[in-house]
Amino acid sequence: MNRNTIPHLFLKRVEGFGDRVALREKDFGIWQEISWDEYAQHVRGFCLGLIELGLERGDHVSILSENVPEWLYADLAVQAAGGISVGVYPTNPAPEVRYIVGHSESVFCVCQDQEQVDKVLDVKHDLPLLKKIIVMDMKGLRNYRDPMILPFEEVEGIGAEVHQKDPDRFQALVDHVRPEDVALMVYTSGTTGPPKGAMLSHRNIINMIESLSKAMPFYNTDELISYLPLCHIAERLLSVLLPMYIGYTVNFAESVETVTEAMREIYPTVFFGVPRIWEKMLSMVVIKMKDASWLKKKIYQRMMPVGERFSEYNLSGGHPPLFLRFQYWIAWLTLFRALQMELGLSRARLAISGAAPIGPEVLKYFHSMGVEVLEVYGLTEETGVACMNLPGNQRLGSVGPPIPGMEIRIAEDGEILMKCSHIFEGYFKDPEATARIKKDGWLYSGDVGEIDEAGSLKITDRKKEIIITAGGKNIAPSEIENRLKFSPYINEAIVLGEGRKYLAALIQIEYENVAKWAQERGIAYTTFKSLAQNKEVYELIHKEVEKANKEFAQVETVKKFKLLEKELDHDDEELTATLKVRRKAINKKFGHLIDALYSGK
Amino acid sequence: MPHLEIRELFLSFGGIKALIDVSLSVEKGIIHAIIGPNGAGKTALLNCINGVYRPDRGRIEFEGHDLTRMKPDEIARLGVGRTFQNVELFRNMTVLQNLLLGRHNHFRSGLFRGGVQGYRNPEEVDHRKKVEEVIDFLEMERWRKAYVKNLPYGVQKRVELGRALCMDPEILLLDEPTSGMNVEETEDIARFILDIHEEIGTSIVLIEHDMGVVMDISHMVTVLDFGNKISEGPPHVVQNDPKVIQAYLGEEQERERKTA
Repeated sequence: MNRNTIPHLFLKRVEGFGDRVALREKDFGIWQEISWDEYAQHVRGFCLGLIELGLERGDHVSILSENVPEWLYADLAVQAAGGISVGVYPTNPAPEVRYIVGHSESVFCVCQDQEQVDKVLDVKHDLPLLKKIIVMDMKGLRNYRDPMILPFEEVEGIGAEVHQKDPDRFQALVDHVRPEDVALMVYTSGTTGPPKGAMLSHRNIINMIESLSKAMPFYNTDELISYLPLCHIAERLLSVLLPMYIGYTVNFAESVETVTEAMREIYPTVFFGVPRIWEKMLSMVVIKMKDASWLKKKIYQRMMPVGERFSEYNLSGGHPPLFLRFQYWIAWLTLFRALQMELGLSRARLAISGAAPIGPEVLKYFHSMGVEVLEVYGLTEETGVACMNLPGNQRLGSVGPPIPGMEIRIAEDGEILMKCSHIFEGYFKDPEATARIKKDGWLYSGDVGEIDEAGSLKITDRKKEIIITAGGKNIAPSEIENRLKFSPYINEAIVLGEGRKYLAALIQIEYENVAKWAQERGIAYTTFKSLAQNKEVYELIHKEVEKANKEFAQVETVKKFKLLEKELDHDDEELTATLKVRRKAINKKFGHLIDALYSGK
Repeated sequence: MPHLEIRELFLSFGGIKALIDVSLSVEKGIIHAIIGPNGAGKTALLNCINGVYRPDRGRIEFEGHDLTRMKPDEIARLGVGRTFQNVELFRNMTVLQNLLLGRHNHFRSGLFRGGVQGYRNPEEVDHRKKVEEVIDFLEMERWRKAYVKNLPYGVQKRVELGRALCMDPEILLLDEPTSGMNVEETEDIARFILDIHEEIGTSIVLIEHDMGVVMDISHMVTVLDFGNKISEGPPHVVQNDPKVIQAYLGEEQERERKTA
């Protein structure tokens, strides 16, 4: 029965690691440990419970929750039963929940709490296939009389009874799962159009984690904090799939807001962050430094350049001279060690950035303080990772060489094409879209890039997002946007200029930092809007834009900009669930602002 | 038998009659709202219940005890918890410390033993456990170790509610728990009050100006006006009582009529 499926892999790990710690969850202020055996018990109970409630092979189950162990139990239980699990972002508003649960034809919804249940109940009448809503935390739901609602423990209880009567049932179910079956579906965030459900088979995933573990050194002593949405393939790989292959421990913070605190308690050895997280950490340090004591400020100002020079030598592959090495040692003692501790990164052996392009300035900053942030690149459609920078051999501005088993070709128009054993099975109920992206064995990524002499891939931008100005110049907006976002006062920047004479930008200020800046200067404001309308704030951002402009060619500079008077929000459809900007929605919503930018008003 | 029974209560400050012949009974396990225009005597009534004011006449009975002659701390020990209109927390202490203070009535060991044993005291562990339950219940994990003075107002009010909950109260007196909050914070607090009602089953006496909250969550409403009780009943009944509309909502309607 040595078959290559996720549940088999899981059971093999449980067999070998039994009482070692698989998961840790902070509950009532204390880190509670969950062993692989207990992990397996939950999975088995929930799986058999679902079968008892009528789950059949090939059925879909949606999971709406933040990162908690129950997410993993439900995920693996569904797969062990031969079903397909579908992650839904807990931040998705009700209409998107309806779309995903409806489109995936889910028969069960596993919800974290009242908030998620309310969303599903809101749209229940549109979901005729839905049998039960299973709830992890019943708080506030005791008086709901809806017969569809069922507590999570009750399902596990039903399953435990089944297991007692028929102890071989679970193994039999697992043995029925075949490597070619679809294991999970990931709904792509869809910067254009409605989300599409990418189907990934057991085989896809096993192939992916095998190549990943070859590419990067993971150990079973590693510690990871799971905090990014699990429906995203990157977090799924790191929190659910790789741990069962490698055997490392996954930690869950109490809530998304306490992740920084959890970092300082766990000191993870593997840490994955989207560029937003890294940018946020960076601006936190910069801002906190402004408040620091005179001595700390001096040390920071003196030692940061030492780190920069040191990291330049390392990045270019050279050996830093002895005196610089000595200086860096001092800098480490006086500054970088404390900084790393403060950020919870002092043990981070693998610090990874992915899911969106990151500015090289951000990477350089972390590199100077001794945290090597590795940029990775990949698509949901090829199960997550295609290229990655390797520890000790990082090339800033590139996403690194392809991982083992990945073949990359650049098409004539610059589009990146991929061939590997983990290309997805297709989009659910959308053969047309599948045919558009999967052609004669190659996956058409939709990104434009080139491969350099060392074999590293450099991404220019999304194919659709390349701006062609009225002067016929091709410009990649993401590079400029990332440089702008490097400023601690800029949260989001959207560069425009398609068919126009020059580039312009819509900028959203970083509320907290700008508010602080304003308070220090006694500038009166009440809300985000009044702050964004302030003349002095405009001047502040203007200076930041000028600073960024210096690093680009004349045609690539931002000539004009406007500050957004509201914060972009997922609920208002301006951002995707992964906080990527939806350009179409922005163009429509802020059309008047954009026109004003080009009409000279 | 009612959980809390107030009979013919009179309270005056010199010539000002704050409460005139107010009778009120709160059933066990329900949310009982007290509403009324400013100066109607709502807070004075709560102050009488937990012993801050001593009424001139009348009787307040809670689970068979007469509260009118007891001191505030004795009343608290009986299981009467309370929050205040303006936040009354220790601003220079952390949330955790403020919540632990809510347990102070339950501490059994004396100054000496507590001082010598410190954190090794098993009693202290139990109290911390209770506090952690409350933190979990009110979703305050991220502020556990933050100083109260650094927290936004809405959160401070939540901490105060938490401190009252730490007392393990039988009945909770909440004095305008949503005042000064934005819509989202108000919704949160209303949800927490409902959660307390459903999960713990504590009786709740609630003074509230936000009519939306009152109509949505309370089972019973008492209306005070210039110290007199003018109406009582389930929310929808009180809402349509002409006396209430005149005394309380009337102001607004008149204003609306004028602007229209």
